[in-house]
Amino acid sequence: MKHEGGVTHHSVHYAGHRSNDMNQRKYADEADVCIVGAGAAGGVLAYDLAKAGLKVVVIEAGPFWDPQHDFASDELSMRRLGWQETRLVDGQDPLRLGHNNSGRGVGGGTVHFTGVFLRFHESDFMTRTLDGVGEDWPIRYQDLAPYYDRIEREIAVSGPDHFPWGAFHGPYPYPVREPISANAQLFREACAKLGMESVVAPLAILSGPFDGRPPCINRGFCNQGCMPNAKYSGLIHHIPKAIQEGAEVLSDCMVTEILSEGNRVTGVVFSHDGQSYRQRARVVILAGFVVETPRLLLHSATPHFPDGLANSSGWVGKAIMPHSSHDVYGRLPEEVRLYKGTPVLSLSQHFYETDLDRGFARGYTLIAHGSRPVAMAGAIAAEREDGSFLWGQKLRETMLDYNLYARITLVGEVLPHPDNAVTLSGLTDEYGMPVPKVTFSYQENDKKLYKHAIGQMNRLIEAMGGIPEHVVSDTAHLMGGCRMGSDPQTSVVNEYGQSHDIPNLFIAGASTFVTSGGANPTNTVMALAARTADKLIEAMKQRSV
Amino acid sequence: MSRHSRYPGYDVWEEHQHWDDHTKKIVGSRRTPQVSYAFFSQGEALLMQTIVRVLVNDHRLEVLTYVIQHLDDSLASPIGEAQRKVGVLPKKQLYRKGLAGVDAESHARYGVDYVVLKKEEQQAVLRAISEGETKAADAWSEVDSVTFFKRILRDAVDACYSHPLVWSDIGYGGPAYPRGYVRVEKGLTDPWEAKASET
Repeated sequence: MKHEGGVTHHSVHYAGHRSNDMNQRKYADEADVCIVGAGAAGGVLAYDLAKAGLKVVVIEAGPFWDPQHDFASDELSMRRLGWQETRLVDGQDPLRLGHNNSGRGVGGGTVHFTGVFLRFHESDFMTRTLDGVGEDWPIRYQDLAPYYDRIEREIAVSGPDHFPWGAFHGPYPYPVREPISANAQLFREACAKLGMESVVAPLAILSGPFDGRPPCINRGFCNQGCMPNAKYSGLIHHIPKAIQEGAEVLSDCMVTEILSEGNRVTGVVFSHDGQSYRQRARVVILAGFVVETPRLLLHSATPHFPDGLANSSGWVGKAIMPHSSHDVYGRLPEEVRLYKGTPVLSLSQHFYETDLDRGFARGYTLIAHGSRPVAMAGAIAAEREDGSFLWGQKLRETMLDYNLYARITLVGEVLPHPDNAVTLSGLTDEYGMPVPKVTFSYQENDKKLYKHAIGQMNRLIEAMGGIPEHVVSDTAHLMGGCRMGSDPQTSVVNEYGQSHDIPNLFIAGASTFVTSGGANPTNTVMALAARTADKLIEAMKQRSV
Repeated sequence: MSRHSRYPGYDVWEEHQHWDDHTKKIVGSRRTPQVSYAFFSQGEALLMQTIVRVLVNDHRLEVLTYVIQHLDDSLASPIGEAQRKVGVLPKKQLYRKGLAGVDAESHARYGVDYVVLKKEEQQAVLRAISEGETKAADAWSEVDSVTFFKRILRDAVDACYSHPLVWSDIGYGGPAYPRGYVRVEKGLTDPWEAKASET
């Protein structure tokens, strides 16, 4: 058993059973479906497929967290909720990974996401047609709309009565969060002054009791793991429900290879406490996010697929996208206290759609974004947009004014480019797998977009009566790397996440995104997973996979 | 910018009885760090502490001792570093060679070890390293000095701003579970939060 901070973590979980005995697995012989990764997508799939009566095994590399004993109100120690294993990064704008954009452990990234729960707009699915950039998705907004509806209801998303942008105008299942923090209030007032609409953010955070869980108490540590269970995560919602419905979850189990015969997959190999095990399954779903899913496919090459499993197109690992996510910290004459309350409580999509007068295609969301001392001091010291450093007396004196700062953050669309990619390096990790290399460089349109956004964030800080003092260069989220499409030559999976090459292999999660949109991706990840689940249930009933 | 804390009487640790046990344990352990090194030699630890003092401009032994202990723990740990740029040495080697580079730079400029330099000289050496304007070319042949500087700055700041004494200086309310924050809107504070002194 794993002992961390006095907590015992079991690794084999199914209804009525929790142990660390790999000989007591529920579906040791064979499962209908093996899901790799228990994050935003894996959780939805596990629950939906188990509810439909399928034998489901979920294999997760990290622990099965216990929020009350594993989480803490502390930035530094809770970085371990991210994927800390070293990846190589390269390109003109090497990415920060780990806690910045990935999860490790049951619930994956939902354990430490801010809970911002937005839909993509209609235009996001057809950027090539509308703007001549990126690629069109093989689906349209309307294909996903019923799944957005379903997921938002299923987890009681709170949000405004009227949402002014995109195709969906509310209302949300649960009322809007109130009160909102000073930073969120100041942002909304500044937007109003400048003639921009703003809203209280739609959030996967409860505004009232739901399903035995309490409403939010504004503790503020969404990124460190929610302790009251007011914020949605797969850890406290979909995975426990999947277990009730008959699914088995294997945690602390790292999948190291996908097994295949010709153009069929037969299961996976995973490692637990230094031992190798096999899990056979009729269908394998990879839901291990934008770095690990391509890595696993590339590493599972066979004579049949010499360039990586399911990679006849050559697109496995290609066209990954973060969101540009620069921050502007502005100093105000009065206290803001960025630590208080849910980090994101208001936002604006005033600049979401393409306006060619701005000199670039696509757009972005601006969010009022709280910050705690480690995040703020670390960023203004070492991640400044101009490449300079802030240290010594200047850093200390700046941080003595911590409570006077407001922050606004960008969630900006980054267009797909094939050179931005996950590949395998020559190094190997503790499992003997090649360490992935993640290469990223902003392209011209991306740079124009974030520069425009920085200008608008500066204006908003000034409209608050403040001085924009620190511009921080950052990214958030990851998408792409196994994109969906109708053409098997230029995409890895079809619109349902089914591999073009291998009919019983599916990919779920942000890795199938074709473009990044300019909004937080989790709602879209979960809606796509629910759509894949529906398709798979139907196909398995008809035995067509 | 402020020269002094806006919250002189405030001690966030006084609130720890209202925190959950796990948080209490984590933050409490920072107030009484052990002093035993698994990665640094005694000489490296002293050098690192001198550098950190300059980087974060904090001279309190309680804070510095914790920061060095945290750096040593993370350097001795097998846990990965999340990402490493192609061509950059793994963290352990980066620290070891970079620390040697700081002393070499000090010798190239002033002929003595970094720890015995005057404050202004210590700042000047770090400034040169942060700007890639180094003189001890051999010492920096395998390590890019700017990369090293960025790494130690980020790591030192992360630990420093995790210490409850620093939280108190800046008026950070900190952990709030199970009680949460009630008065979050503009101009409002909960009764136990830091109140700025009249200046």
